[in-house]
Amino acid sequence: MGERILLVDDEKDLLEVLDEFLTEKGYQVSTAQNASQALDLVGREQFDLILSDINMPGTKGFELLAEVAQIRPTLKRALITAYDVRDYLRMARDHDVGNIIAKTTPFNFDEVELLIRNILTEDVFGLSHYVQGAISQTRLNTAAQVEPLIARITQDFPDNRQRRRFRQALGEIMINAFYYGARSERGDRKGEWSFDVTLSPEEEITVAWGMDEEKSGVLVADQKGRLTKKDVLYWLERNTTKGDDGLSHGLFDEHGKGLFITREIIDRLIINTKRTARTEVVMLNYREGLYDGFRPLWIHEF
Amino acid sequence: MAPADLLLVGIADPRLAEILQRNGYHCTTTPDIASIVPAESSWAMLLVDARLIDRPLDAIVEQLYFLNNNGPIALCVDDPGALSPKLLNALRLGTLECLYYAEVNNGLFLSRIDRVLLNHRLSNALSQRQETQQEKEQLQRELMLRDKVVDHERDLNANIIASIASGVIILDSAGLVVLMNEHARGLLGVAAGAAVGAHFGAVLPDELCSLIRKFTAKAGPSGCISEVERMRQKERFLQVSAYTMLDSRLETAGGLLLFVQDITEQEQTAVQLYQAEKLATVGTMLSGIAHELRNPLAIISARSQRAIARKDLDLPTAVKAFESIEDQTERCAHIVNSLLDFTRNRATMPRYHKIAEILDETLTYVEYQHTFDNIRVIKNYQPDLEVFGDRSRFVQVFLNIITNAADAMDGRGNLRLTTTEAGPDFSIVEVNDSGSGIEQTVMHKIFDPFFTTKDPGKGTGLGLAIVRKVVQESGGHVLAHSQPGSTSLFVKLPRTKERLHG
Repeated sequence: MGERILLVDDEKDLLEVLDEFLTEKGYQVSTAQNASQALDLVGREQFDLILSDINMPGTKGFELLAEVAQIRPTLKRALITAYDVRDYLRMARDHDVGNIIAKTTPFNFDEVELLIRNILTEDVFGLSHYVQGAISQTRLNTAAQVEPLIARITQDFPDNRQRRRFRQALGEIMINAFYYGARSERGDRKGEWSFDVTLSPEEEITVAWGMDEEKSGVLVADQKGRLTKKDVLYWLERNTTKGDDGLSHGLFDEHGKGLFITREIIDRLIINTKRTARTEVVMLNYREGLYDGFRPLWIHEF
Repeated sequence: MAPADLLLVGIADPRLAEILQRNGYHCTTTPDIASIVPAESSWAMLLVDARLIDRPLDAIVEQLYFLNNNGPIALCVDDPGALSPKLLNALRLGTLECLYYAEVNNGLFLSRIDRVLLNHRLSNALSQRQETQQEKEQLQRELMLRDKVVDHERDLNANIIASIASGVIILDSAGLVVLMNEHARGLLGVAAGAAVGAHFGAVLPDELCSLIRKFTAKAGPSGCISEVERMRQKERFLQVSAYTMLDSRLETAGGLLLFVQDITEQEQTAVQLYQAEKLATVGTMLSGIAHELRNPLAIISARSQRAIARKDLDLPTAVKAFESIEDQTERCAHIVNSLLDFTRNRATMPRYHKIAEILDETLTYVEYQHTFDNIRVIKNYQPDLEVFGDRSRFVQVFLNIITNAADAMDGRGNLRLTTTEAGPDFSIVEVNDSGSGIEQTVMHKIFDPFFTTKDPGKGTGLGLAIVRKVVQESGGHVLAHSQPGSTSLFVKLPRTKERLHG
């Protein structure tokens, strides 16, 4: 028997098509068209995951999940929206929600299924979950390796736009992994960071990259698991919202911009983190502007 | 000698008056000084009995002079030896005349009065002549001073008219130009010396002439005009205010005073504000619509993908139809996403960047496209020139401009990128293409949202609208200049942090 999923959306048509699709994939699906129907079902039946639309008449998705958390603390929760996920980062932070699926056009069934499977199985680590093709992998233990490695990875990517975006994002993410992830350096002491450090085998960073027909992907992982969902949401939110002067709140922050910049220039930023064991940052870029304008929120914390 | 009026004060001897009247004097008598009614009449001379001088001499003499309008005063005495030393001194100094009762009989009394009066008249005449001379000199001085004031005022007026930041034109009632300052000449393009004395119709631009005719036609029964109108003079917007000048002698309407002001900047600001407000409103609306469209679009796409994937769908036309639905949905999504990108009021991360790096980065995004195969890129960068702002937004700006330029050249021609500094505060990037150029009739529309000259489906018409929005939000300006074979977009961006919100 597959896992039980409760789908909540006021769009009947979407409920129907998702129900059909997920049932085909072996899940047991129930549907509700509003929050009260959903709460009623949650009270009566057992589910493994509730996936709710955000913007519904009456009780909205975030509030629904908060109520569900009261009744069934162990029930896994995720949201889905056609709107811009950026606008919900603060709510996600306030409600401790790590996953908001984007209703993309063209509709990305594979991604919806992958995210649901990720949440349910908690099997999220490794680039092979995200990219179908062959995967290369290496280890990083000195800062001096960062630039040559970026050059090596990006030369395989198909076009300049992809290359440049990955170059910038990888710079941010690898340096973060090296100094914050592996070494736990302080952002306000950047001037004192040593560039001659060699990471011990317990500190080493894993970098993997690969491509499939529709996208390229790179994974950067450390073995410390220091990054938390709360931190990620904090940094993303600070750089997405702005003050009265139109400047982002995070403009003068010592760090935290790397994640935001990466999320802006890379189509999919996936953060998987297991406390004290592993932090993985997965970056995916689609070819030819596919799914442009849609950025799901994709953080798994264990 | 004309008969004179005499006032006899406290004169006891009645013969005195008698003799005087017989000799042609007209006499009034009064018993004492207190009973003299001042200014009742004007006396040629006062004759006062010395015995009435019972108060301190100075005061009484002053009073008498006052009473007699500074005319001569004579004391009539019996015995000079009985006079006080002060009185004697006054007599000696000529402050007072002295007559002796004793001389009434022998006629000397009369001749003394004659002489006193004559003396007085002479001295009066003399002093008058002196006064005239002095007056003349005074008058001359005053005249000179007045000339100076007039000169000064004239200079001041000329100065005011010259330095006033408006054009000033004065027409007389016949329509001849009486005055026209430099500013007016500059604004209206009238050559120096070409206007004054000529009829306005012969020297002023046609549009202004018709305004003047309109103003004068509107004049009410009093002939007074007070009107404000706008006009265009080449690239500038002018505001013309007309006021009737009153003829100071006749207090009737005389000439016409015209103020011409350049309001181009205000006009542009107003237009920009209006545009910005309009855009903001349209933006909010569009953003709402676009968001609402994303749900149905996602559903259409999901449905058609599911339909295509059905194994029992073996009807080729149906597959084709669903594929078409899927493609067109994607196209809609692309438009919707561009709209959201355009209306999104995103947080910015301004930093200092080298323009050359931003332009080169932009080029890497387009150069690999086939449309760029036959386009020669000529870089004319000023080294190390910086701009301050959000890098990704600047890239977006130049990406849009360069893509348009490539389209305008139809894949063949020269793309010139030139960077220059514009003072300490700004940098300018010129993107020039050798394409067909922008028609003058649509030039003012190119930055409007949804304006496009591209084929349906090729452009959303938001490219340059985004350019303008981003550049303005970054504290800069953008403008276009085009002629066949050479079109330039000039993007002016702040070089310093201070300029960003200046």
